[in-house]
Amino acid sequence: MTAPVSAPHSRTSSIAWYAEVALPGVAVGAVAGLFAAGVAALAGLPAALALTIAASLGGPLALFGGAYCVLLATGRFRVGTVAPVALYWMVCFPLARLIEEFAAAQVLGNRTVLGEPLWSFLVFQAMLSVGFAIGFLWLHERLAPHWLMRIRPRNPVAADLAERYLEHMNTMVRRRPSAAAARRRSST
Amino acid sequence: MDSSDVNTGGTPTQGVPPQPQPQPQQPLIPAQRGAEPSGADAQGAPTASEERVWRAGRLEPMPIRPLPKAPPSIHILGPTVFLVALGVGMGESYMWPRLVLIFGPEIRWLFLIGVSLQAVVMLEMSRYAMATGESIFFGAARVFKPLMWFFFITAILVYIWPGHLSAGASALERVTGIPWQASAVTGMLLVGVVFTLAKVIYSLLENVLSICIGVLVVGTSVVAALVGNLADLSSTITGMFAFGYLPEEAVSPIWFPILVGSIAFAGPSGMQQMWYTLHLRDKGAGMGAHIPRIRGLRHADDQESMPSRGFMFDTENPDEMAKWKGWRRWVTFDALVLFWGITMLVTISFTVLAQASARLDPGVTTVIRDGERDAALDAMAGSFAAAGSPIFGTVFFCFIALIGLNATLGLFDSFSRGQADMTYFFVPGAKRFSISKLYGFFLWGLIAFGIGILLFGPADGPAAILDVLAFLSTFAMGAYCVVLLLVNNLTLPKPIRPGLIPNAIIGFAAVFYLGMLFYSLFAFGVVVS
Repeated sequence: MTAPVSAPHSRTSSIAWYAEVALPGVAVGAVAGLFAAGVAALAGLPAALALTIAASLGGPLALFGGAYCVLLATGRFRVGTVAPVALYWMVCFPLARLIEEFAAAQVLGNRTVLGEPLWSFLVFQAMLSVGFAIGFLWLHERLAPHWLMRIRPRNPVAADLAERYLEHMNTMVRRRPSAAAARRRSST
Repeated sequence: MDSSDVNTGGTPTQGVPPQPQPQPQQPLIPAQRGAEPSGADAQGAPTASEERVWRAGRLEPMPIRPLPKAPPSIHILGPTVFLVALGVGMGESYMWPRLVLIFGPEIRWLFLIGVSLQAVVMLEMSRYAMATGESIFFGAARVFKPLMWFFFITAILVYIWPGHLSAGASALERVTGIPWQASAVTGMLLVGVVFTLAKVIYSLLENVLSICIGVLVVGTSVVAALVGNLADLSSTITGMFAFGYLPEEAVSPIWFPILVGSIAFAGPSGMQQMWYTLHLRDKGAGMGAHIPRIRGLRHADDQESMPSRGFMFDTENPDEMAKWKGWRRWVTFDALVLFWGITMLVTISFTVLAQASARLDPGVTTVIRDGERDAALDAMAGSFAAAGSPIFGTVFFCFIALIGLNATLGLFDSFSRGQADMTYFFVPGAKRFSISKLYGFFLWGLIAFGIGILLFGPADGPAAILDVLAFLSTFAMGAYCVVLLLVNNLTLPKPIRPGLIPNAIIGFAAVFYLGMLFYSLFAFGVVVS
């Protein structure tokens, strides 16, 4: 699959289109960071620490989430597939957590960033990333199609991706003409 | 019961001497041999006068219709969301982490068995529903009608009590301070109004539950990643393979019934697997595509007329069988990757949380060991909070509240769906109401009763019958395994009946659930806890 935008549009408009397409992934990543920060705040942790978690975890997760959408739009990922997304987050999720640990250590004034060896930390985060990946995809697949349908009149990148979602949904759709006709014939 | 008698125009062929027949244009299902194929076109479509049918039991035969083409097997959204929403509940978030704290992570091999059995049950439940577009309740009635009435009554006895709401609403009260009765009653009314206004209830609910489950899965992963470590995760995972580990204390009168309940509640419990067949139908899986979907009360009059029975596809047509295999791949992905995987992921995250708290404060286990269910919920959250950071306790209650919301939405819909289905097809005179109206009737009946009980009565039901309800809930699981064996092996055409291995696993599941239940009852005088 090739990148959908090959027309001689300006570089700025092309970046804007991809940025717009990236929003659902950004939103899911940001929600994950805000969820962690919200729980921290409810639990009575210092506001500075909660804000640090929101920014240093939510920020990278949002960035990686957005990058996923761009990769999807450029055809590097197929719509709705699980395994490539799991591999993607197996790299990105530990990285986001590492950034968060570093930021939290700075805010708390700790000299050591991690309480365990780096390899152990990364392996643990990579294993939990599978859960995160499925949750991310689950939420993304709910948000992205609605968003893409909304922006596709003004955004060719979104139009191309929306088209792929429609193809995907067509194969999932339950009401086929033959089935509906047969049902009408047989209804009691 | 004769499950292989197929005739034309619904006229039984039993006892009729075989007549020379013209060669049909398309292969017919096995029992159609010898029957008059005229009146059916090349695709098995009926004419006004005669049509090809599949006869299963003494109920109305199923006309032959084309099987829709299966969607790609790799997908992320489907009816599994209902099973995950109903299945990821107290068992995964509370009961199993508690057992791990008390007996060690090695006890999780029983959870592995419980969830794996449920995944196979899910696959076998889907077989009948996808082949016919009928619910498993209808299938049970085709075998022996009282079987279906048993489930009709059990559903009312077990699920009419709003006890499942109280844990979630209480957790919300701990976090927000809102009195739990207020949030529970408001929640119920909100569910009723939203479901009433919905055009197609299934679509709305699939969207809402997907968002909730997505947040739950993302949230548990992130929080477990924040507080756990590799050692917690390693012991959680390796514990799943310590087959045969059963400490002496686990078979004591106190803990064995709890263990039985925890195994039964690993994944969807009670009748939730049976309701899944109705969600498959509304999703349009397999022959469910031929059945109209349930609408909200406000749009009930827009519903297409509901056939009085399901349909069968031509199982001797290789093209149809190829499509059937596609549907089996589709539902297998649902069962193994989405249901099994997500249930496992959520419970691993919760167990990592529990292990992290125990690592920080070894006294946690002592506090948890002594509590009753509600007290133990407090104790668990309290001890989480004491173990290093208040974050644990709040996290625990946040997740319990979210799980309570999922369970409420899922149960209200599933109960109403199941009861409406049985009422519509088997209560005389009920067909003059549409199934959507019957759904609305059961939904609002459940809400009205629930509000009354929450305000004036015991949420879990009268204390005197609690044990009976707990017994019935687990008994239903053993019973539906037996029903599943009967329905799949007696009412389906041979080419699509389950093989030896699925039958053996479902048979084992029946013995497993019923055996442990009755052992618990007779050895300790206690049903599941």
